[in-house]
Amino acid sequence: MSKISIIVASEKLDKLLPAATLATTAAVMGWESEMFFTFWGLLALKRDYEPKEVSSDYKVYEDYLRRAVSSGAMPSWLEILEQGKKTGRLKVYACSATMSFLGVKTEDLVEYVDGVVGAASFLSKAKDSDINLFIS
Amino acid sequence: MKVDIVVDARYKSCPGPLLALAEAVMKASPGQIIMLLATDPGAPRDIREWALNVGHKVLNIEKADETYQIYLEVSS
Repeated sequence: MSKISIIVASEKLDKLLPAATLATTAAVMGWESEMFFTFWGLLALKRDYEPKEVSSDYKVYEDYLRRAVSSGAMPSWLEILEQGKKTGRLKVYACSATMSFLGVKTEDLVEYVDGVVGAASFLSKAKDSDINLFIS
Repeated sequence: MKVDIVVDARYKSCPGPLLALAEAVMKASPGQIIMLLATDPGAPRDIREWALNVGHKVLNIEKADETYQIYLEVSS
């Protein structure tokens, strides 16, 4: 079975959407799919977080993307992720070090997080992946 | 062609059409035929790739105006 591992290091809408799209599409295609949320990416796993901003370099396009999502032309990143989770093949991991320095507790995270892990654990899960991506 | 289920994903961009189709397939029975309506220009190739990966069969793809009609037979 093919496998993809994605490290997500940003909480911005323009990073979360492609990350979720690739992770979920892989899972829907029957692949194993793993996401590791680290640094600012971890903020996206906090309960009630709703990404509204794009990266500062692309502010001028922010309204286009927001409109695409709010009109339903593009699914929200959470809708995408939830469909991936439904397959049972998409795993979502939170970075333990980031949780420590941001003071985020396990109970602050959304329920679809499969575990809190460190770099070595994620690497050993990701090492047999066919595709590895770092999105920040 | 006898169509059992119609999935309308027009004006939805990637990955909307594929996710809508995959969801419909999960609820469908083997042998049923789904017609997906999509306007995303990437949809025909995406659906073909996905179907190859998961073992469903794309029977036909037609285009009327800007809408693709993608016919898929659900495998067991």
